[in-house]
Amino acid sequence: MNAVEINELTVRADARDLVSDVTLHVESGTWLTVIGPNGAGKTSLVESVVGLRRIARGAISISGQPLETLNERERAKLVALVPQRPSVPNGMNVRDYVALGRTAYHGLLRAPSAGDRAIVDSVLERLSLHEFCERDVATLSGGERQRMVLARALAQSTMVIVLDEPTTGLDLHHQMDLLELLRREVTECGLTIVATLHDLTLAGQFADRLVLLDAGKVVLDGPAHDIIRREELSRCYQMDLRVIDIDGADVIVPVRGVSQ
Amino acid sequence: MLSAHPPTARRVAMVTLFCVLALIAAVVAGLGVGPTSISTTRIIGAIASGLGLGHSTLTPLQATIVWQLRAPRLVLGLVTGAMLSVAGGAYQGVFRNPLADPYLLGVAAGAGLGATFAIVYVGHGLTTPSWTPLLAFAGATIAVLLTWGLGGRGLRATASTLILAGVAISALLTSLQTFFQQQSSIDSIARVYIWLLGSLATASWSSVWMVLPYVVLCVVVCVAAGGALDVMSVGDEEAKTLGLPVRRVRLVVVAASSLGTAAVVSAVGLIGFVGIIVPHILRLLVGTSYRRILPLSVIFGAAFLVLADTIARTIMAPTELPLGVVTAILGAPAFALILTFRRQLTT
Repeated sequence: MNAVEINELTVRADARDLVSDVTLHVESGTWLTVIGPNGAGKTSLVESVVGLRRIARGAISISGQPLETLNERERAKLVALVPQRPSVPNGMNVRDYVALGRTAYHGLLRAPSAGDRAIVDSVLERLSLHEFCERDVATLSGGERQRMVLARALAQSTMVIVLDEPTTGLDLHHQMDLLELLRREVTECGLTIVATLHDLTLAGQFADRLVLLDAGKVVLDGPAHDIIRREELSRCYQMDLRVIDIDGADVIVPVRGVSQ
Repeated sequence: MLSAHPPTARRVAMVTLFCVLALIAAVVAGLGVGPTSISTTRIIGAIASGLGLGHSTLTPLQATIVWQLRAPRLVLGLVTGAMLSVAGGAYQGVFRNPLADPYLLGVAAGAGLGATFAIVYVGHGLTTPSWTPLLAFAGATIAVLLTWGLGGRGLRATASTLILAGVAISALLTSLQTFFQQQSSIDSIARVYIWLLGSLATASWSSVWMVLPYVVLCVVVCVAAGGALDVMSVGDEEAKTLGLPVRRVRLVVVAASSLGTAAVVSAVGLIGFVGIIVPHILRLLVGTSYRRILPLSVIFGAAFLVLADTIARTIMAPTELPLGVVTAILGAPAFALILTFRRQLTT
């Protein structure tokens, strides 16, 4: 079954197509990463999936439900977002921040229920955040902060999570740590991930499927292992990219001075 | 008591207790302090008797002073302080702007224009006519509607477009008010100036009943929106993905805050500083959650304004100081003090 269905999607801004006629179907319990150079339309595409962009043409369904028929609350129960630059309000503690993920369930006038609190506690435990839960969000390191934002998305209890460049600003250790954690959620809990990533090596190692986007159009779509070896990749990035196999892991290396 | 960390339940409980004690002190001071000295015991006895507990020991003259002169002024002060403080806090949350106050969207300029029109053209500069509150209320309401019409674009309003529209509408209405004033007599200008400074001196039970329904409704709506304002602290787009109907919440909170503010301003004039200082003091004490700030703003704002009014009417008696001047003189140093303590603890 498809968790996300994007059909002939066009997203427009200032009379320019940011995403043009894109069709993608993402199977449940899989990880799809959208790659592409800056300005390719990656963020516009994934923001459309969470309902943040006005769709000029086409349609998006999440778990079989057309996005345009859903209000904010219904949408938040189906798909969660980890934004590229999350806004972290000073003075809020980690537990309260993660509990924001339960907004769609307890409504605007009621406080979180015991069930909501139990889900928040379980997510904090799963992401090893329980020791920070009373700390001010502003005092967390970049890695801890990104983990906390992911915890908020997981607290939404959706089957689909959209991540826009989730490793931005993280060191290598924290990048790997976060992506391993996401991989575990896909494998063990059947989560569906739609992500964008600039790091092609990480994209290739963690995603089941890669989609190469350029100028708003899908250029390549297929298993990660295949896509990173295709010539079109080098053409899109306008540089020579080589793939090195290190103990079974694909590493993509740009070669200096060879521009396409 | 102050720390850089999010507040503990104990700290919140202590601040709540402090606010309740301040409110009790304000009620006793509001009823007891004045040219006719009445002991605190008698005041407490009179309040208890009013609540159906025991008998009042006030003389008939004292009872008239307490219930017909001081009580309406006290109640109007309580509801005004509560409304301005909650509206200020709600505006700060809904616009994610610490400088927001209840007059942000043109309420003050609209009410000022309405009142000026009433004094200059209805009262012909000779009196402050009974129509003044109604025209001030109409002016304030029209100002907010114009702001929403200009910057709101229906439900597509964003915080920045509304704030900018508020600036433009306020400037326009203030210039019109200045024009009306400039066309009128010195007497009119003096009356308008007195009205603009704000005062509880003309409070009566009829003015209390006039504003109370609006204030109760608007305060309840704003306090109930506290949780939604917490969600909005992550920004409009993230809040939407968390399931919050951001534009509808903004519309409801702005409507409630503006209507309640228009109601109290029409009755007491423009009292500045309360709406910005009270939520900020509470934010420094109990953290950034609007679920805590807004209910405490109701209690502390009410107490703060009545205590300020008690000072305003007694410190230079029989002359009354403008209430807005006293709120600023009391609020600014208190705010600076808390800010300094907090900074020291943070570093």
